[in-house]
Amino acid sequence: MLGFNIMRKKILFLSILFGCLMFSDLQAQIKKVLVKGVVIEKATNLGIPGATILSGTPAKVIGSTDGKGMFSVNVDEGGTLVFHFVGFNDARVKLKPGQTSVNVILHESNSQLDEVVVRGYQVRSKETSTGSSTTITSKDIMDVPVSNVEQLLQGKVAGLNIQVNTGAPGFRGTSTIRGLNTLAVTGNGSESFLQPTSPLYVIDGVPIDADKAAEYGYNQQGPGVSPLSLIPQEDIASLEVLKDAQATSLYGSRGAYGVIIITTKRGNSKIPRVRYTSNFFMNTPPKLRETLGGNAERNSKINHILANALTQEDLDKLSKTYFLTDSLNDYYNNSTNWQGVFYQNTFNQSHNLAFDGGDEKFNYKTNVGYFSETGVVKNTGFDRYNMNMNMEYNPTPKLKFFASVFGSIGKQNKGDGVGLLQSGVAENGQASSLLPGPSFFQSTLGAVSALKTLNNNDSRNIRANIDVKYQLLPGLWAASTLSYDFTSDNEDTFTPAAANRQFARVYSFNGRSSNLYSRSNISYAKTFNGKHNIFANVFNELYKVTGQSGIIVQNKTANDQLQGPLGFDGYYSTGGGILTNFKNARLASFAAAFSYDYMKKYVIDLSYRLDGSSGSGLENPYAKNPAIGLRWNFNKEEWLKDIEWLSYGAFRLSWGRNVSPTANLSNIYGLYQNTGTYNNNPTMGIDYGQVPNPKLKPTTTSQYNFGFDAGLFDSKVELNFDAYYKKVDNLLFESNLSNAVAFDKVLSNDAGIANYGYELAITVRPLPTSSPFNWSISVNGAINRDILTKLPAEYNGQYIRFDGDDKSLQHLVYRVGKNTLSNYLRVNQGVYSTTENVPVDPATGLTYSTGGRFFQGGDPIFKDVNGDYVLDNRDYEISGNSQPVVTGGLSTNLSYKGWGLNVYGSFTLLRTILNNALADRFRIMSNPFDLRAVVPLDDLDTWKKPGDVTKYPYAYDYARYGAVQPFRLDQTLWAEQGSYLKFNSVTLSYMFTKKLAKRIGLNNFRAYISGNNLITFSPYSGPNPENVTALGRDASGGYPVPRTYNFGMNVEF
Amino acid sequence: MMKILKYNLLLLTALILVSGCRKLLDLPEEKDYLSGKLNYSNKVFEPVLGRTTVMGTLNADNSTLPMQFEIVNARYGDGKPYDDMFKVHKTWVWTSAYTGKETSLEQINAKRKLEDHPMFEIRSSGQFIMWQSSTDELIDPRPADSSNSVQDMRLFDLKVKNSGGEVLLRDFQIRPWRERPYEPSTDINPFTGAVARDPKDPNNPNKRDYILADIGNIIGTPSDLQLISNADQKDVVVYIRPFTGGNGHSLRFKFLDKDEQVIDPAKFNETKWEQLVHGFNMQKTTTYVQYDVAYPIPLVNISTPYAPNGSQASSYIKYSRRGFGGMKTTAYLGLTYNIFKAGDWEIVFHFRRENPKFQDE
Repeated sequence: MLGFNIMRKKILFLSILFGCLMFSDLQAQIKKVLVKGVVIEKATNLGIPGATILSGTPAKVIGSTDGKGMFSVNVDEGGTLVFHFVGFNDARVKLKPGQTSVNVILHESNSQLDEVVVRGYQVRSKETSTGSSTTITSKDIMDVPVSNVEQLLQGKVAGLNIQVNTGAPGFRGTSTIRGLNTLAVTGNGSESFLQPTSPLYVIDGVPIDADKAAEYGYNQQGPGVSPLSLIPQEDIASLEVLKDAQATSLYGSRGAYGVIIITTKRGNSKIPRVRYTSNFFMNTPPKLRETLGGNAERNSKINHILANALTQEDLDKLSKTYFLTDSLNDYYNNSTNWQGVFYQNTFNQSHNLAFDGGDEKFNYKTNVGYFSETGVVKNTGFDRYNMNMNMEYNPTPKLKFFASVFGSIGKQNKGDGVGLLQSGVAENGQASSLLPGPSFFQSTLGAVSALKTLNNNDSRNIRANIDVKYQLLPGLWAASTLSYDFTSDNEDTFTPAAANRQFARVYSFNGRSSNLYSRSNISYAKTFNGKHNIFANVFNELYKVTGQSGIIVQNKTANDQLQGPLGFDGYYSTGGGILTNFKNARLASFAAAFSYDYMKKYVIDLSYRLDGSSGSGLENPYAKNPAIGLRWNFNKEEWLKDIEWLSYGAFRLSWGRNVSPTANLSNIYGLYQNTGTYNNNPTMGIDYGQVPNPKLKPTTTSQYNFGFDAGLFDSKVELNFDAYYKKVDNLLFESNLSNAVAFDKVLSNDAGIANYGYELAITVRPLPTSSPFNWSISVNGAINRDILTKLPAEYNGQYIRFDGDDKSLQHLVYRVGKNTLSNYLRVNQGVYSTTENVPVDPATGLTYSTGGRFFQGGDPIFKDVNGDYVLDNRDYEISGNSQPVVTGGLSTNLSYKGWGLNVYGSFTLLRTILNNALADRFRIMSNPFDLRAVVPLDDLDTWKKPGDVTKYPYAYDYARYGAVQPFRLDQTLWAEQGSYLKFNSVTLSYMFTKKLAKRIGLNNFRAYISGNNLITFSPYSGPNPENVTALGRDASGGYPVPRTYNFGMNVEF
Repeated sequence: MMKILKYNLLLLTALILVSGCRKLLDLPEEKDYLSGKLNYSNKVFEPVLGRTTVMGTLNADNSTLPMQFEIVNARYGDGKPYDDMFKVHKTWVWTSAYTGKETSLEQINAKRKLEDHPMFEIRSSGQFIMWQSSTDELIDPRPADSSNSVQDMRLFDLKVKNSGGEVLLRDFQIRPWRERPYEPSTDINPFTGAVARDPKDPNNPNKRDYILADIGNIIGTPSDLQLISNADQKDVVVYIRPFTGGNGHSLRFKFLDKDEQVIDPAKFNETKWEQLVHGFNMQKTTTYVQYDVAYPIPLVNISTPYAPNGSQASSYIKYSRRGFGGMKTTAYLGLTYNIFKAGDWEIVFHFRRENPKFQDE
């Protein structure tokens, strides 16, 4: 019986086999024809090299196009050809009988579903990803030369808030994903900075720390250049921004602030090709402050004094102020444009040469780049040289091998500033125009310092990585990645004697850091019954991070020629020696991810990661990062199949947690300090500043995300919507201890923030694919609200961070239940139109006063918060929100034949900016005897005579200024709406036809003109609502963001 | 169609669920901040009745303002409640700024009005006010025998609240002094209100203390020596006392010689009578100079020609004569003073020992 059964099966099998053979035999009898043709890209009208051509059922690769897009294949007569190229929609052509030539136009694939995303170092189809992410291609970031590629992401990703708040070449602005992650603020006054919480950048599978250069003093960028400034934009193939916790949790602790994955270009051309990109661009400083020059300044100051002097002494002082009265003196008889001394237009260039070649089996790429930008503030600039190589080798389908080397040198010149702030320049730019300009015989300390300080801040970075994958069994891959990243940072500053009170000064910094990184993983993918797909991935990561840096300062060198060697005089040779940012840390992580989908309709993702860090408290050495994600591609449901206009649609739901240690070793273990000598023996003692807290917990970021994706009308309209709730718990917060305890302070974990918001991105391609025009419009926006959820109990829900700068007093207040970073200021309610309007204390009959002076007409109305008819330091109120609520961008791309027009814009809404720049403009008027410029205030609504109802107080009452301080910084008069809409860039390009390009011996030639940072529309009265710190302070000492005009070309040989 | 509706509904509910309101996300509501360190630097107040006194310095420790203050549990030390201080009476409150340049009583009174206030109250700044409407009759001052026994202690608690919560600050003490209608009041015993005894001889019931006048260059006659006004020798003293027959808001200056005979004010020939006080309708007779004035004097603690230092009015009377060697010498007598209680007051300068010499040498 059994035998018969087997027998029957065998017969069945044989007969099927035979049938198949017969069938194939029949097929073979169909006549083969040679078909020739060309595959053309629609947008550029150029041939596509390397496109694969498939035919038959099941489809088999039968050939590919050559370097010019030409092909010739043998194919069955009347068969169907499928043309496939990554990033394009497949084209199908059914051959007519006798047809031997086919010309195919490939349309770029625009549907997001065809995109791939990266999750936990694994490439996945977007269709089955449950997390929230946005991908940007190289097309979106070309044509506008920038020193730091990050700024080109501005306004392109909903929820990624980038503020280009410095124009200093080579510096980064700020970037945050989905709101606020920290409470840590350092510094005082306009130089208060929020701790940057930049996303983790992963370049070709290797995580790097973008905040590295800012380690040393937050935004006050220390030595070193951000690794992001070292990547040439031409070498980037795509960027993916991971936003929700499902996407980032596999990156563990370091992914707590979001992750941005950068993939560099790979070689992809059968025939080796050379591509060259060059940009020539001009940077111009924005409109500078208007000042009165020469005699106009003198008259203005003299009138100012005569009209407002209260006492005879003031009038007498005028006659002793020689720079005003001695108008015949050559020294005081000038009209110097001081701002012109410091600001300039610059001409810059960048060149990038890329060689690549190879196919899927073996390909290589080399990219050599040079970028040079001179700052609009004189004596500043940035140069970058880099050479990146990568190579991919797949000897068999089972073995994949990838190696890359990335080397770069960034050289920055910061002048005497710190990059973000050029306060020296700003201060000297305010000098009186009556003074003679800097010259051989005459120079002011500030001017020499700004112009003649020699600064060289360079960073040399080399990174190598090797990535090997091997398929053990079908679907089961083992892979390993090893990378080593080494950076050497040096900064040398020489301040000549004339700029440093007659003694030259030398400062030298040197630092090294390295990062050894290894990752090994095993992944398995399998499909059961053609319906159930599973994918599992297990990996571990090991980091070894080391770093050490030191500085040395020689305060008095013998002369300007002796710029080193250092240390010849022990007394004046100071410096930090080894800085406290010494690092020798290890991080070991284990992670597992599992996903399952049913016919790609229902998807579930589970992941878990353990991070063990030597930087965590003893009690909590491992940080656990779990995540879960669900996706429902509802367009695949039977009951929606018939809806034609729905191309795709999906709901996503995810939850995840990123846990990252934020404390340092001394917080956990305490600090010992050299406490002098005892009996001539050096002693070490405990530092009683802060009690060690071994129970410190790592900061926990948990996030819920709900997403909705849809493509309508054949993906002509695509939209992504995300709503999220992100909770940051266990933030470090300092509490004061009772004075009965030996220690002063303790760090606790009792602070928390919550962010919630919505993100929406819509792309519309209104024209049909047959139209010669290609047009797309994209709009994206994100609303984020942050709320302080928790403070240590002793604070009872409010903590005020008092500004230690007496001149500023712009305090910050953290109040539970309110937006996290609010200002604590005196409330300005207008200007007293007449003295009679000043309120009177009903009990004492005294008018409202401050500093012993009664307010009068023309003085600002400060709200008397406590109602005691005296304005003092008790009259502060919470106000404003320094973090933007709405951010987003818009773009439109239009192309027609060879022409292309791209416009990118970005916007930020609902944000409070403290316009300290305007305050400074008024404050210049506080002392007309000062050797400072006069700024015309005619354009401002200021009080001039009793009865005026104005916004700004009387500006010229210098005699009462000290007591009344009408232009004090700690008032809401400067709190302005910082919303803006900016046209980031406009590019007009033309791709020459092949014929024309050939005539000059080129394969391709494309030329373009572009502008960057062109116009900003804003109700803000200051110079630039974006050029402000992360805390929304417009320090007038900031580095202005230049406007850039560029001419560039892409050439392919 | 139904299906589209179905998934629209689904979308809507999901939206509400996920994005929802603050409640759903379990976010804390914003509350005012009320510091646990909120307190007063001094909790014992000793105002003088009959004067408007603003007292108390609240250290709010940046608690959110405005806060509500409520005086509760007013009791004597033995637990017996009191409420005499909280009775409402009319009192002057300022509505606009007094400048010292007003030219009539009406102009001054247009800047203030009578308003009902509890005699002792707390205002929104956390400052306590004892209004001028308080008198000895309405509020029992501290005991005349200067004792401070528990049953006489006036205590109260203060309830402070805002939306962040409420704190009860306990055991404030108020010890009112009885009225002293003018200042300097060296001639009044502050405990009893009776005439003060001579501080040099306090046990002698026949000797009293006086208000001293500020004098200079006054030559006495017949001794031809300078008159002296100090703690040891009180040649010129001042009485601030009510007189009858005024209009209820008048101030009179009078000068008495050693025999308590009136000196003609005209003899003080260098006096700027118009600027002596901020008064109007000056009547100058041979016995006195009288003005219509607004009380209290000075009205507001600001510097005016009548009260250069702000806190006290200053009235100086001067005369000149030819001194030895034919030099002109100018003599003065004057007083810096307050008068708190409205009424008809006279300021009397009394030359107790010798009369001033008006004749030329």
